[in-house]
Amino acid sequence: MANALDQAVETAAAQEDAPVSPVGDGSASVPATPNDTAAPSAALPSDKPDQKPVDKPAPAKPKGKPTGIPEAPRNAPQPPLDAAQFPPVELNGRYMIYPAMALPDLNSPQAMAYSVEDRREPGRQLFALICKPGLPVRTSLMRELKSQNINGMIPMADYGPVFWSPVDQTAVAIVFERPLGGRFLDTFGDQPPRVNEYELGKLILEPVARAISELQAVDFAHRAIRLDHLFFMDKERRELVVGECLSSPPGYDQPVIYEPIERAYAMPSGRGYGMSYDDMYALGIMTVFALLGTNPVAKLNDDEMLSAKAENGSYQCLCGNERIPMALIEPIRGLLSDEEFERWNMEALDHWLNGQKKTPIQRRPATKPKAAFKFGGRDHMTARSVAHAFSKNVPEAVKIIKNGKLEQWITSSLGETVLTDAITGIIAACKVNEGSPDGSDDILVSKVCMRLDPHAPIRYKNFSFLPDGFGAALAVEYLRKGNFQIPGEILARDLLSFWVGAQESRTPDLTSQERTFQTLRGFAKINEMGYGMERCLYELNPSLPCQSQILRTTYVDHIDDFIVALDQVADHVDTRSRPMDKHIAAFIVTHFKYDIAPHLKALSDKKEETSLIGLLSLYALMQWRMKVPTLFGLSSWLGGLLAPAIGTYHSRTTRRTIEQEIPALVRQGSLPELFDLIDNAERRHIDTTDFDEAQVAFAHAEAEIESTVGEGVDQNKAALEVGERVTAMIAIVLSMIATTVIIFVQTM
Amino acid sequence: MAQPQPQPPNQDERRKQGRSNLTWILLVLTCLIVLAGPTMIVLVLGMLPTLVALIIDRTKQKSNSLCVGSINFIGVFPYIMGLWGGINDFNAAFTIVGDIFNLLVMYSAAAFGWFLFLTMPPIISSFVIVLQQRKVAQLRAEQKDLIDEWGAEVAAIVEVHKMEKKEQHMEHGMEGMGGQP
Repeated sequence: MANALDQAVETAAAQEDAPVSPVGDGSASVPATPNDTAAPSAALPSDKPDQKPVDKPAPAKPKGKPTGIPEAPRNAPQPPLDAAQFPPVELNGRYMIYPAMALPDLNSPQAMAYSVEDRREPGRQLFALICKPGLPVRTSLMRELKSQNINGMIPMADYGPVFWSPVDQTAVAIVFERPLGGRFLDTFGDQPPRVNEYELGKLILEPVARAISELQAVDFAHRAIRLDHLFFMDKERRELVVGECLSSPPGYDQPVIYEPIERAYAMPSGRGYGMSYDDMYALGIMTVFALLGTNPVAKLNDDEMLSAKAENGSYQCLCGNERIPMALIEPIRGLLSDEEFERWNMEALDHWLNGQKKTPIQRRPATKPKAAFKFGGRDHMTARSVAHAFSKNVPEAVKIIKNGKLEQWITSSLGETVLTDAITGIIAACKVNEGSPDGSDDILVSKVCMRLDPHAPIRYKNFSFLPDGFGAALAVEYLRKGNFQIPGEILARDLLSFWVGAQESRTPDLTSQERTFQTLRGFAKINEMGYGMERCLYELNPSLPCQSQILRTTYVDHIDDFIVALDQVADHVDTRSRPMDKHIAAFIVTHFKYDIAPHLKALSDKKEETSLIGLLSLYALMQWRMKVPTLFGLSSWLGGLLAPAIGTYHSRTTRRTIEQEIPALVRQGSLPELFDLIDNAERRHIDTTDFDEAQVAFAHAEAEIESTVGEGVDQNKAALEVGERVTAMIAIVLSMIATTVIIFVQTM
Repeated sequence: MAQPQPQPPNQDERRKQGRSNLTWILLVLTCLIVLAGPTMIVLVLGMLPTLVALIIDRTKQKSNSLCVGSINFIGVFPYIMGLWGGINDFNAAFTIVGDIFNLLVMYSAAAFGWFLFLTMPPIISSFVIVLQQRKVAQLRAEQKDLIDEWGAEVAAIVEVHKMEKKEQHMEHGMEGMGGQP
């Protein structure tokens, strides 16, 4: 068994410190992915922070081709597993996935491939990818692909969670049609993967453009278009398709060079959903590689390559020194445009593919500053490049920012007085807040970077993301560290609002994102069940399975499965603990459509009994609303925890009655019944009323006792006084009797 | 010149009430002396021990006076009946009170009243103490039953009251100490 966390961690960590590629060694600017540093598992890594890898097979090395074309490293072939020990698992009652029959050639960077048998259509050529547990996968796109096929993309047959015995966890399995012609790159062997200008359009551009177009029609972007991710579906190698993009967050596995500059600056998990424009850019890069058969900037490391792109433009950076056929200059320049509004869209590409010409894009060279800005041992020619360098070296950046050199350079070399004023304002605001988190060096540098390069990601403490990638970044960060420290600080410092404010124009999308983040900020501030950063995690990643430790062996990404899954794990967990934690509460409140605010309030109560009643009422409501007939395990689990809740009744008789009735209700598996027993309104009213009466009776008795034998009461004296009064009464009675007798005798 | 301190309203009322009562007593006594002078002579002289008991009895209930007076009255009443049944004039009245035997009967009755008052209350009080102890035991048992059924919280009000009393006591104590020079 291995650990997906390690891989994800390494991936996320690597994104901060992109490795310097050895010049001309062929490995080029491949992002450090799990496979570079952490070992992939024998079958599949596990995601949980507390689980240590048991078996770490050798990492897969990027192919050492001399072309320098970057590839996303895939898992290396694993030692074969024993078929008897790891029997096939069934997916959705139809597909049998064989853990012992790995297909390493079809591995994805974040998922491993296995042989699949279709029970309904034996002989169908399929394979399954087993995704890393915990890593957010693109479930919404899977749902879409299940209902419709996307031309130009590897066809998906089915998907769903399966219990994957090699890692002893439930993971998502995605079944695809097997590409019989193998990988596009593999067809070239050791030769450079060069495609001539006449074949390029038909062989690569058309099918990939079709995939991008059809995905765009259903409002998705592929975000994993790269040369090493193309396959031939047929043995004759005529039908080219782009590989899957479902087993990891959008853009997560893309080598930096394939990403538009602003997304490339973000860490892999924070690159965001993106749009078809981003796919078009990747298509442009891929076209250049296919046309040249090499990576023209292989000698540059990622930072250098990004700086070159920022200063000269992507096209100039890649093709400036290359011979590009005339016919392809326009499409490549159009696809590699760094401005989204200038970049070729599907319509433009279609026109070109159909032989229509498009007005060439006028190349606008970047405004050169009068003098370069020296920082980090390099001369920077653009504010964007400076911002990126600052984000990599915060302590030095702070010195430069505070000593005024940056403002001086912006004013004198760039002539941007508005930007200078903005930077001065940020410095002043941080001075005002000195000593508080709002005035920290990290905040100062982060804000200055946002002002210098408004389109670039938010960069704070090596956590860099575009707003639409915050959800995936948050999920991977939790996977990495098991906490939300940095994302929490980002929300608390409201950096997202600052980023939105730094943009030149405010689009409806930006406004919507800002509103979303304000809502998330509100959630993060509340330290109660159903809120906090866990709530943000599930709000931003609706398809993310519940990360609760209680449900670690299962895969619950849908509320309909939740309560049943909890019922099933009840037999295998320590039932002295509660079936609730912050992840479960956040998952429920995010996915359950009914109002559960009162239940959450009770659940977060400091009093154990109130919290327990809140817990029981919540699960009872869920069972009732979802029409789940029986929940024996959960009933038994909760029934055993209810002692403090029963203790809320004053009457011992009522408590005993409830305790005696619980086993019967547990056997019925009905939480609503159990809740009615524990928190019956009438019974509670009677209990309260009777208790009040008992208190009054007790007080009366006490008062009477006090008056008789209490403090300050001389019992003998009081008794003597009573005796004297009684004697007086006797004397009066005697006197009356005697008087009557005398009168009677005298008158006789 | 110092202004006279205004009297508290209840003290004024009490004083007025006292004057009114005295007026009524004097009026009734005058009427009784005018209407039943001989009876009043026998009654006053015969009930002298009661008057003494009334004077020395400082208790609020006046049990002593009632006890002595009731028995004393038994000793006086036959002579009053004699007056009412025979010659009812001052001579007859003085004859009755002039006879030492008659006075002995009247005062012996009063003495018996005293005897009753001195001997009966201790006996009765010991009965009362026994009854009270039984009552307290019964109340304690009831309280225990309440605690068994409702838990110690049922006594919470009582405890709170006790605490409040203690606090008040402490506060008053502090005030008292603060008032001292």
